[in-house]
Amino acid sequence: MQPIMIHLEGIHKTYAGAQPLHVLKGIDLDIAEGELVSIMGASGSGKSTLLNILGILDDYDEGDYYLAGTLIKNLSETRAAEYRNHMIGFIFQSFNLIGFKTAVENVELPLFYQGVSRRKRHQLAMAELEKMGLTDWAQHYPNEMSGGQRQRVAIARALVTRPKIILADEPTGALDSKTGIEVMELLKRLNREERITMIIVTHDPGVAAQTNRIIRIKDGVIEK
Amino acid sequence: MRVDLDTYHELLETLLRNKTRSFLTGFGVFWGVFMLVALIGGGSGMKEMLNNNFEGFATNSAIIWEQPTTKPFHGFRKGRMWVLNTGDLQRLREQVPQIDVISPMANKWGVQVVNGDHKFNANVKGLLPDYAKVEAPKLYYGRYINDMDIAQQRKVCVIGKKVYKSLFPKGGDPCGQLVRLDSVYYSVVGVDYGGGSMNINGSAEEAVCIPLSLMQRAFNMGDDIEMIAITAHKGTAISDITPRIREVIARAHDIDPTDEKAVMVFNTEVLFGLMDNLFEGVDLLIWLVGIGTLLAGAIGVSNIMMVTVKERTTEIGIRRAIGATPRTILTQIISESILLTGVAGMSGIIFAVLILQMMELGFTEDGIVQSHFQVSFWTAIGAAALLAALGVLAGLAPAARAMTIKPVDAMREE
Repeated sequence: MQPIMIHLEGIHKTYAGAQPLHVLKGIDLDIAEGELVSIMGASGSGKSTLLNILGILDDYDEGDYYLAGTLIKNLSETRAAEYRNHMIGFIFQSFNLIGFKTAVENVELPLFYQGVSRRKRHQLAMAELEKMGLTDWAQHYPNEMSGGQRQRVAIARALVTRPKIILADEPTGALDSKTGIEVMELLKRLNREERITMIIVTHDPGVAAQTNRIIRIKDGVIEK
Repeated sequence: MRVDLDTYHELLETLLRNKTRSFLTGFGVFWGVFMLVALIGGGSGMKEMLNNNFEGFATNSAIIWEQPTTKPFHGFRKGRMWVLNTGDLQRLREQVPQIDVISPMANKWGVQVVNGDHKFNANVKGLLPDYAKVEAPKLYYGRYINDMDIAQQRKVCVIGKKVYKSLFPKGGDPCGQLVRLDSVYYSVVGVDYGGGSMNINGSAEEAVCIPLSLMQRAFNMGDDIEMIAITAHKGTAISDITPRIREVIARAHDIDPTDEKAVMVFNTEVLFGLMDNLFEGVDLLIWLVGIGTLLAGAIGVSNIMMVTVKERTTEIGIRRAIGATPRTILTQIISESILLTGVAGMSGIIFAVLILQMMELGFTEDGIVQSHFQVSFWTAIGAAALLAALGVLAGLAPAARAMTIKPVDAMREE
C-alpha cells in the first residue's frame, strides 16, 4: 500500500443563506499517493464542493482534511494561497487561462507567485510546454489556440510547480471527443510516469472508467 | 513588494491594454494637478503684480488734503475753500504724538523741464527729506533731497525715470547737470526709478522733486501746502488717530471737526487691509478649486479601477487559485492606481511648471523678473507627495473589493 496522500474524516459543509444548504454530510475518504481517482455524481450532489475543499478553495465546517500529512483547517487566505501554490495543480473545464498572457506567461504565473527568478521560471515553463509538445506555441495567446492546446497549456501550468496532487474539474468537458481522449491519455501518462496523484471530477462514465477508482457521491455522502 | 521586472511589466500591460480608458482616467488627475499648481503659481504671481503697485509705500500711512467744506461752522458757509499751511505741520507734531513722520508736499502740474533740446512736461513736487519714509525712492543715480538742501535752499532736484529718459536720452549719470524749470536752473542730484502705480500727486516716474521751501518761493505759494503725508508709530493704527488729526487741523482753519469731506484723511492701511482680505479669499478659492478638481480626478480613478476589478473578477480568481495571496492582489491594484495617478499627475506638474515659466518670461522686462509665477521646488514636491497619497487612497476601495474575490466565485462566473 502506498502512503496516504489525502485523508478526509467526517467532512461537513453547509452553505449559509436564507435556506441553509447542507451539501456535504460526512465524507470519509482516503486517496493514496500516485492514485488516479475519479469523482462522479449528479449535479447538486456536492462533488464540486468536495473538489473545492480538496483544492483549499473553500473551507469546511466539520471534520478533518489532511493533505500529505498536513492538516488543512481554518487557514488564513494567505496560508491557503501558499498551500494551493505549492501542493495543488488545478485543471479546469474552461481552461481558465489568462487571455492577455501568452502560453508561456500563463505557465510561468504560479512560479511568479512562488518568487522564482525570472530566468528560472521561464526555463521551467518552457520545459513543461515542451513535454506537452507546445514549444512552438509558447508565444501564442490562448485565443490563438485550439481547445486541446489550451487544456494542455493549463495542464503544463498545473504541473510546473511539481504539486502533490492534480485536481481536474471536468477536464474533457469542453473538448470534442477526440481531443478529450488525447487529454485523458496525457493525464494517464502523467499519472503513470510521474506518479502524480490525480483526482478527476466528471460526468462522463467513459472518462471515469479509465481511472483506478471511481468515487460516487450522492446527496452529500459517498455511495458504498 | 518583490522586485521583479515582470511586476512592472504586468502593471504597464494592464494599463496599456485599455489605452483610451487609462488616458481619460489619467486626464482627470492630470487636469486636477495642473489646476492646483497653476493656480498656486498664478495666484502668487498676481499677488506680486498687485503688490508691485504699492511698492515702496509705507503700509501704515495716511495722506491729508484739503477740499471745500461741506458743513457750515463758526459763521462760515459750507462750500468754502481752505488751504493747508506750514503751521499745520507744527500743530500735528505737537498735538498728535502718535504720528511718526510728517511730510508736507506742494505740487504743480505740467511744468516744462528743459535740458538743451530735450523737454518734458513734468509734475513738480516740493518735498522734505522725510518723504522718503512714506514713499521710498529707488535711487538709480545720486541721492535724495537732504536736510542741507532744505537749510541752504539749494536749487537741486531729483528726477523720475521718464523725466530722465526724456532729458538724457543718451543715458549716463546726470548728477551735477543743470535742468531748467520755468526760468530757474536746478542741479540734478538723483534719479528715482521708483514707481508703483500707487502715487501721490502723480507718478514718481514723471516727477521732478525739489525742496519744499524752495518750491514755495519759486512758485509764489507762500506757506501753502498741497497735502501732508504722515506715518504712524509702529503699533498705532491710523484709523485710531484719524479723528484727532482731523480735529487738530479743523480747529485751526475754522472747520467743523466732524467734516470728513473738508479734511480728507486717506488711510492707506484700509487699502492694504482690503488687499490682504482679497488675497486671503483668492487663496482659499485656489485651494478649494485646486484640491476639489484633484479629488474629483482621484475619485474618477477609483471609480474606473472599481469597474476594472469587476471586469477582472475571473482573472483575479484564477490568480488566487494558482497561488496569489490577497496581499499580492492588493499590491497589484494599488500599484496600478499609484502608477496611473503618478504618471498623470507628474505630467500635470510638468505642464503647469512650463506654463508658469512662460508667464514669468512674459512678465520679464529688461531681464528683470517683474512677477514670480513659478511655484517653488517644495510646492512641487508637496504636490507629488499629495498625488502618491491620493493614488493609494484611490486604489484602496477597488483593492478592497478585489480582496473579497474568492477563487471559487471566479470559477462560478463563467
